[in-house]
Amino acid sequence: MTTRKNKDDRIALLQGTLDLLILKTLVLGPCHGQGVARSIQRQSEEVFFVDHGSLYLALQRLEDKKWIRANWGVSENNRKARFYSLTPKGREHLVEKTSEWRRLARAMGLILDSSIGPSGEEA
Amino acid sequence: MFHRKRSTEDFVEEIKAHLELEADDLKREGLSEDEARSKARREFGNVSVAQERFYIKGRWVWLDKLLRDLRFGLRLIRQNPGFAATVILTLALGMGANTAVFSVMNAVLLRSLPVTDPQRLVYLRTSNSPRGTGTIDSTATFSYPVYDALRRQGRSLSRVIAYVPLSSFKVAVRYGTEPEEADGDMVSGAFFSGLGVKLARGRSFSEQDETNHAPIAVISYNYWTRRFGRNPDVLGKTLYVNGVPTTIVGVSAEGFEGVEAGRSTDFWIPLQSRAELNAWGNPLENGKTYIDNPSWWCLRLLGRLAPGASKVQAVAQLQFSFQRAAYIGLGNPQSGERKPILSLVDAKGFPGYDAEYGKPLRMLMAMVGLVLLIALSNVVMLLMSRNATRQREFSMRLALGAGRGELFRQLLTESLLLVSMGGILAWVFAVYATRALAAWAQIQSSLAPDRTVLLFTLGVLAFAAVLFGLAPFRVAIAGGAELAMKPSTAMSRLDAGMTRTGKTIVALQMALCVVLLVGAGLLIRTLRNLENTPLGFSTKGLVVFELKPHVTSVPQGVAFYQELMSKLRILPGVESVTVMEERLGSGASDNSDMNVDGKLPDVANGTSRTVRSNVVGPNFFHTLGVPVLQGRDFTDSDNATSPHVGIINEEFAKRFLPNQNPLGHSIGPVHFPYQMTIVGVVKDHKYRSIAETPIPMAWYMYAQIPIIGQMNVEMRVHGDPLAILPSARKVVLQLDPNLPLIQPMTQRAQFEQTISQQLMFARLAEFFGLLAIVLVATGLYGTMAYRVNMRTAEIGVRMAVGARRGQVVWMILKDSLLLTAVGVVLGIPLALMVGEALTSSLYGVKPLDGMSYLLAVVGVTLVALAASAVPAGRAASVDPMTALHTD
Repeated sequence: MTTRKNKDDRIALLQGTLDLLILKTLVLGPCHGQGVARSIQRQSEEVFFVDHGSLYLALQRLEDKKWIRANWGVSENNRKARFYSLTPKGREHLVEKTSEWRRLARAMGLILDSSIGPSGEEA
Repeated sequence: MFHRKRSTEDFVEEIKAHLELEADDLKREGLSEDEARSKARREFGNVSVAQERFYIKGRWVWLDKLLRDLRFGLRLIRQNPGFAATVILTLALGMGANTAVFSVMNAVLLRSLPVTDPQRLVYLRTSNSPRGTGTIDSTATFSYPVYDALRRQGRSLSRVIAYVPLSSFKVAVRYGTEPEEADGDMVSGAFFSGLGVKLARGRSFSEQDETNHAPIAVISYNYWTRRFGRNPDVLGKTLYVNGVPTTIVGVSAEGFEGVEAGRSTDFWIPLQSRAELNAWGNPLENGKTYIDNPSWWCLRLLGRLAPGASKVQAVAQLQFSFQRAAYIGLGNPQSGERKPILSLVDAKGFPGYDAEYGKPLRMLMAMVGLVLLIALSNVVMLLMSRNATRQREFSMRLALGAGRGELFRQLLTESLLLVSMGGILAWVFAVYATRALAAWAQIQSSLAPDRTVLLFTLGVLAFAAVLFGLAPFRVAIAGGAELAMKPSTAMSRLDAGMTRTGKTIVALQMALCVVLLVGAGLLIRTLRNLENTPLGFSTKGLVVFELKPHVTSVPQGVAFYQELMSKLRILPGVESVTVMEERLGSGASDNSDMNVDGKLPDVANGTSRTVRSNVVGPNFFHTLGVPVLQGRDFTDSDNATSPHVGIINEEFAKRFLPNQNPLGHSIGPVHFPYQMTIVGVVKDHKYRSIAETPIPMAWYMYAQIPIIGQMNVEMRVHGDPLAILPSARKVVLQLDPNLPLIQPMTQRAQFEQTISQQLMFARLAEFFGLLAIVLVATGLYGTMAYRVNMRTAEIGVRMAVGARRGQVVWMILKDSLLLTAVGVVLGIPLALMVGEALTSSLYGVKPLDGMSYLLAVVGVTLVALAASAVPAGRAASVDPMTALHTD
């Protein structure tokens, strides 16, 4: 991965999360790759830095899995671009993964927020 | 297709579009044209690297994944070689046994004759043969006139093909100076062309060859390989058959071993008409060969249905000609005589195979099926319990975004890896096992696994692979992603479900094991009974071989055997020598009704009048060691000019001459004008086979009857019986350089052949029973060990609060004893059914043999205890403190 932490507060994406973010972005409607990248960066309040090379490979991977489909079209400023849209299968997967991440995040939060230090060995 | 093929150009185009869109956006945010372009490029990163990655990914993504899964699978195997070895060996044994037995079944029962269009081929059958005829098989052999009449009909049966062995065992052949034995048939000129069997070399026979009785031979590919090392120079060589020179003109196609059940024919010659080459090697009857003798029904017939003709049509068309031809040379049928009725049966398989091997093979298949079931469930359990410990790994991967599909693919790859290793071993195992089976069953035709067997094995393998992928997959995903976050106590929820399945499987395995053990017990006890059955004489030092001298007259034949016996008697180590027409323990016998004092004896209602007879030489009973109860044995002074004498057994005397002195009475076969006076009564002894019950027997003196031909020589020697053979062979060669010793073996071995099927059956049952026991033991051990592992904490608590070692051990043992009890309760009714099905294969044992059941139950109980002893011991040595700290 060429993703690196910038000198600012941007965070390299965890593996597996990029797919989820792409799917989430496409819920709003068909979008081209550059638009997806911008949208992720903007919506995460510029915390996530999207490596574009990885982004396009991820798009390809999702397309291979039939979670999204792609068609060449014309952008609002009249440029030729490849537009991605969510398939029903992709939508299903997104719902499933979202709830999983919510639970994971909550659990992480609970542990990290508790005042006790790292948990001991006792069961 | 799993992913769309997308060109790299398209991808490059998309990146270009991206850079332009990004530059547009940046420009709108206030950057200059140049700045926007370079920033867009910088933000994107390395464009060519992205392209390269796309290229590689698009092309190799599946291979890459497969390799990754394989590497991972191999790593797992290396991490736990004991587990892998257990799984692979279990599979190899379970599947190997199945492949081997299926291979035999395929060769014997399923495979069709290797001929063109076998569906159109039929065997000719008759309901019976006319009165006054002799047959080889009362429904499957025909006279030459019948064959001749049917082949001339030629409408609905386009070809009628006759074939007949030159001997019931093997015939004497010679290439150079040394005589040897081989399996040969006389056949129609249309044999090869009618069957559609191609020749690998040379030419086959023509109708002309049959008409001219051409002295030519075609040898089988198998024989060509075995005897001549596939030497092409064999064509044109002279093959002496019973001393008659024939020229080898062809080699049959590979895989064609003739149409005789259980035999692999070495060579074929056209139908002959001469004394040395009579059908079945029989001596001439009144100077007539099988061709001139309409009362000897000895030819087997095959037909090929004409295009469009059905079996029913063919029978309807041929019936009249058949019935007319059946009486050629026999006079008119007597009033009330049942006329023979022709019928046709499919010739897809080999005749007689099904009757002889069908039942035992199906039983064996069922047995190995059970073994496979045990083996597969074992592996499933092993995989499930191992993968339960990998639960966290799976949960973690699910949490990190791995799809269920990917997880399944990974598990499938792992199982495929194990299954294919097991499969390869199984195949090797099967190849050797079929050779052993062929030897035991005395089937000479090839039993080696073929393509059908390969498909069968691959089918089982594929099923196993999916099963082994799916079973642990259920466990793997049961935890879900959340489990990754939970401490280990959460696993106990899952553990309950998993061990319930495991326990059910073990109980079922126990049940199957009981069934197999009871079956094995019954068969082994049958075998012991057969082996310990007294023959009525001692086989120690007895050796037997057959000779087929070229005999032109009775005095010459008698002189030959007299000279032979006197020369053999003086060999060092020889105690006594005699001859007999039918070999003891070969299953063959000559049966007929017999007159006693000129009339058919009175017998109680329903009792058979059938008498078995044999033609024997001087000192016959002395050589065998059969006690002569009254009168005397045959001697050298019983000859053609002295009064005809006969000897009977106790059973004969008891049934036909009750309460009187049998000596001096005259007896003789009903259909043959020959009378002899009883001069001796001998003790009943086994004649055809070990399992037979005594029936009335009578013996003729060979030097007194008007017919003579092949004989078996019986010798009693000191020391190893087979060691006498080389010097005996020398004696025979001095008398006739064309004579090999045919089927030389000890008399003991000859009798054991009559129980070879039971022998094979019992040995295999023993093997499969043991295999089942071992498999069940490993399965139980796996489950118990896993349970103990899971309950380490619980055991720790119990011990911490004062449980003693004994109590802990008992807790574990109780578990497996309970499973055993359930298994036994389930297994016994099943075993009863199996015992019922086995009834006809048993000898001296009832299907409800208490001993067999007891041993089976004791067996599984011992196995259960042994398999749980180690886990129980481990449980008892758990240190409470460590146990509580675990995880």
